[in-house]
Amino acid sequence: MTWLSKSTAALGFVLLTHACYSAHEHSALQSHRAASLSSSSGPTSSLPIDIAIETFVATFVIALGLVLGTSQLRPIQWRVWAGKIEREGESGFTNSSGEVEKDYVGNPFRLLESRPGFVDIRKQRKEFAAWRKETSATA
Amino acid sequence: MPTEKEFQISPIVPESVMHNTKALSNLQTLTASIFGAAAGILGLESYSGFLFYFVFTLLTAVLYYTIRVAPTSLKADHPIFDTSRYFRSSFEFWTGGLLNGLAGYILTWTLFYGLVRA
Repeated sequence: MTWLSKSTAALGFVLLTHACYSAHEHSALQSHRAASLSSSSGPTSSLPIDIAIETFVATFVIALGLVLGTSQLRPIQWRVWAGKIEREGESGFTNSSGEVEKDYVGNPFRLLESRPGFVDIRKQRKEFAAWRKETSATA
Repeated sequence: MPTEKEFQISPIVPESVMHNTKALSNLQTLTASIFGAAAGILGLESYSGFLFYFVFTLLTAVLYYTIRVAPTSLKADHPIFDTSRYFRSSFEFWTGGLLNGLAGYILTWTLFYGLVRA
């Protein structure tokens, strides 16, 4: 849940609480008025239009805030999913607070790929050269 | 209906399918409880109350589509309103979660109706 979604949902809840209290006050006022005048109003009182509008707006804002707080969807076609893991690794599967999601599987062939016969020697050479350059630059 | 051969050519990742459907149904259950509060405040009665629920659940699905599915799906050149990148069928996306929030909706609806009507 990002801060944007939390604040939007909180704003929507404030509006909804205000609308709820207003509606309660309105209904209490109507029943008090009906009791003191001893005239019976109908069981369904007419809610003022501004409370109704406030309720609709509050509902929409809460729904928007909650949708913004959902996590990223994952592609279901195998090739798209595997391509995403290859390109982005763990960083493509983080939730909103930046941690890797708990049910992240990763490359399904990583046990096979780490066998000695399948080692990617060019990639390891490049990494070693970069590390060498970095340590000789600092040393 | 995708055939077995099409599943062999482009397989589906079950873990992703589960994650996506869980995300959508959790969202719909949660928002259904909140829509119940709104319906109780508005003082909706029988048919209009259920209509309110279905309309707003569909609205939530549209919002979810616009915010979570559309950006990456349209960038990957899927046609508009096509959810095949993240969900197995469009019918399942739009209508699959329609009924699983109904219990929570009715719960909060009756609660808030009683609270607000004093």
